[in-house]
Amino acid sequence: MPIPLIEVEQLSKRFGSTLAVNRLTFTVNAGEIFGFLGPNGAGKTTTIKMLTGLARPTAGRARLNGFDIVRQPVQAKRVFGYVPDEPQVYGKLTALEFLNFVGDVFEMKPERKARRIIELLKLFGLEHDAGSLLGSFSHGMKQKVMLCSALLHEPKVYILDEPTVGLDPRSAKLLKGILRDIASDGGAVFMSTHIMEIAQALCDRIAILHQGEIVALGSVHELRVLQGKETLEDIFLTLTGTPEERRLANII
Amino acid sequence: MLWLTGMLLKQKALAARRDWSTRTFYTVAVGAGAVLFLFILFGSYLGARTLYDDHAWKLLASIPAWAFLIYLFTDIFIAFGQALGDLYLSSDMLGLMSMPLRTPSIVVAKFVGGVVQNEVYVVTFLIPFVIGFFYGTHTPWWAYLPTLLGVIVFPAMLYAVLSCVTILTLRYVPSRHAKEVLWLLGATVPTVFWVASFSGIAHARGNLETLQLPQAPLWLPSTWIGGTVASFATGAPLTALAWLALTMSVALVACPAALAFVSRAFEEGWTQSATVGRRAVLASAKLRRTEPAWIALFRKDVLVFLRTPQLWFSHITSLGFVGYLLVGHKVQTPLLPLTVQLAMVQIGFVAILAGLNPGMTALSLEHGAVWILKSTPLRPSDILWAKFAVTLGQTAFVVIAGAAALAYGYGFGIPNSAALLGFALVMATCSVCFGVLFDTTFPSFQWENPNAINRGVRMIIPFLAGVTVLLFSAALLGTMRVVMHGERAVAVGLVLSALTAGWIAHRTLQQSLRNIAAMEV
Repeated sequence: MPIPLIEVEQLSKRFGSTLAVNRLTFTVNAGEIFGFLGPNGAGKTTTIKMLTGLARPTAGRARLNGFDIVRQPVQAKRVFGYVPDEPQVYGKLTALEFLNFVGDVFEMKPERKARRIIELLKLFGLEHDAGSLLGSFSHGMKQKVMLCSALLHEPKVYILDEPTVGLDPRSAKLLKGILRDIASDGGAVFMSTHIMEIAQALCDRIAILHQGEIVALGSVHELRVLQGKETLEDIFLTLTGTPEERRLANII
Repeated sequence: MLWLTGMLLKQKALAARRDWSTRTFYTVAVGAGAVLFLFILFGSYLGARTLYDDHAWKLLASIPAWAFLIYLFTDIFIAFGQALGDLYLSSDMLGLMSMPLRTPSIVVAKFVGGVVQNEVYVVTFLIPFVIGFFYGTHTPWWAYLPTLLGVIVFPAMLYAVLSCVTILTLRYVPSRHAKEVLWLLGATVPTVFWVASFSGIAHARGNLETLQLPQAPLWLPSTWIGGTVASFATGAPLTALAWLALTMSVALVACPAALAFVSRAFEEGWTQSATVGRRAVLASAKLRRTEPAWIALFRKDVLVFLRTPQLWFSHITSLGFVGYLLVGHKVQTPLLPLTVQLAMVQIGFVAILAGLNPGMTALSLEHGAVWILKSTPLRPSDILWAKFAVTLGQTAFVVIAGAAALAYGYGFGIPNSAALLGFALVMATCSVCFGVLFDTTFPSFQWENPNAINRGVRMIIPFLAGVTVLLFSAALLGTMRVVMHGERAVAVGLVLSALTAGWIAHRTLQQSLRNIAAMEV
């Protein structure tokens, strides 16, 4: 019996007269890597913001490990690790100070916090930069620090918005391995990405978002059968592209 | 160069459009600005008229130069930060520097943009002064327009000089140190000037016909434009036109030319500042024990504050104001007899000023990292208490130092010194609470310069609120002094003020908590 770690029911978000996200419903179960795809402006980041408490849904509900993100925000936020699409961190803190701060916010025990910080910094090759100010880090290095902060408290749920952007090939491969390990250990990963190859290789199930609505939901194999296309890219373009793009997809 | 200047000004104008759903605040702020304009206009008119009728020609002739000098050295606080921000911290520089544009064109365009942005202060403070002064001295009507044109271009000289200083400093001094040094200089130099010049003014002696202010330095642009105003007002139009010609030629010809020349050094300095080398790694990275969430957030904010000298700006100027009060007391130029209640109101004003900037940037200083506050298990109360503690803590440090200095300078005993300190902390609390409420209501996380987190004209509202509370508390102190006398009056007045502040803190912090809980990123 699959255990749902992320449950989304009729989730909607309206900005003035614009309905950015319209009645999304899906679950992400334990042991699953769930891909969230969509063209620019489809509503992916808005959905992620609602899941993580950065934005309040206009309607619907989102639960993380059973905790409602609106009604039980603190409990829900303990359950996940989040990496936003832009690695915005505190430029005046060192990497070590930042991770200590995150560990304190998640009320980690000192020994476990210390052990995890050292492990993660070494894992991502940041151990020699631990004492450097984050303001001097490159985009990729900041992204690695963000990943460290999300992995630090070993949550059951991971919400990642374009996690591989800015990572060098070694770190990107490392991350894929980590995500597979998380899933096989019973965790759940909710990941948005534009890179079809990653989604196709990693994700157990995929949702494709278009103009705020889910237009496809299932495993890559199921979507291939349903849409009659070979690759995820073709499926994506067919469902979300303009008529010209769909014509090109059919030709190619 | 002109084309790029026009393009950048157009972008600034487009960016200046505001969300009119908050038009109430804008109406209040614009109204307050209009009141200030009229206050300066009528005040200048009445003062000039009085001196004119009393034939105080020398005083009339010396006032404009000092008025513009005061503006000049007040504007340094803004202009220093603006030059650094526009040239080195602005996010559009990355795009502009990679385009096929000549560097001098970019620098001059940025310079003109900075001057235009500053003109709101010229319109609010200098224009009404000149109009009132001219009207009070029966200056011919034809002198108004050329003088006002000179006033409008006058700040350009300051911006040009500071831009050149900034460019040259960042070209030849390592940028990590240069930026911090420039910020501190920008706060310290004008503060020292304020205190020193007030001492000079306070020693002026004579009767109304012979009295004049000390001669302002002739090499300062404020003396040139002041000379223009004074010469027109005292019936020396040829002299006035000579001063005006000097002002205009330097502002419109010499300064842009000098800036275009110095800007040759800009590109190298900008490159260095944009590629900061990493600091040396800590030899041993010690790991700490776990702290409660709000203390972790508090510690983070303290570290950021200590590592960001730009944030010390307002505190330096607040302490400078205390210096100004002490100098005034030392040279015995009281407008009112010194009482402990008056001293309390003085330090209360310093506390209001000192608490505003920290409070109004408490949350906004999170910048792009604000997502961390909302996506981690930090309660809204954790966030509020941490922010309140950091802002009040730094403000309290400054006002305690200021109150101690003032008490010592005024020769107060322990009870009066304690009253001074207590009132300062009460007003600081009010100021911080108003600032935090404002910042949680109108947060801004997209900024380039922590000293220029712009929320538009509504930013005057926390200041007005703080001054209102100060005036109310001053009324309480004055009433108790009349009703009770002595130390009892001071104590009761202080307690009533503290109760008022407590009520304000309770209401404002409650609303701030709701704002934080409802905040979306």
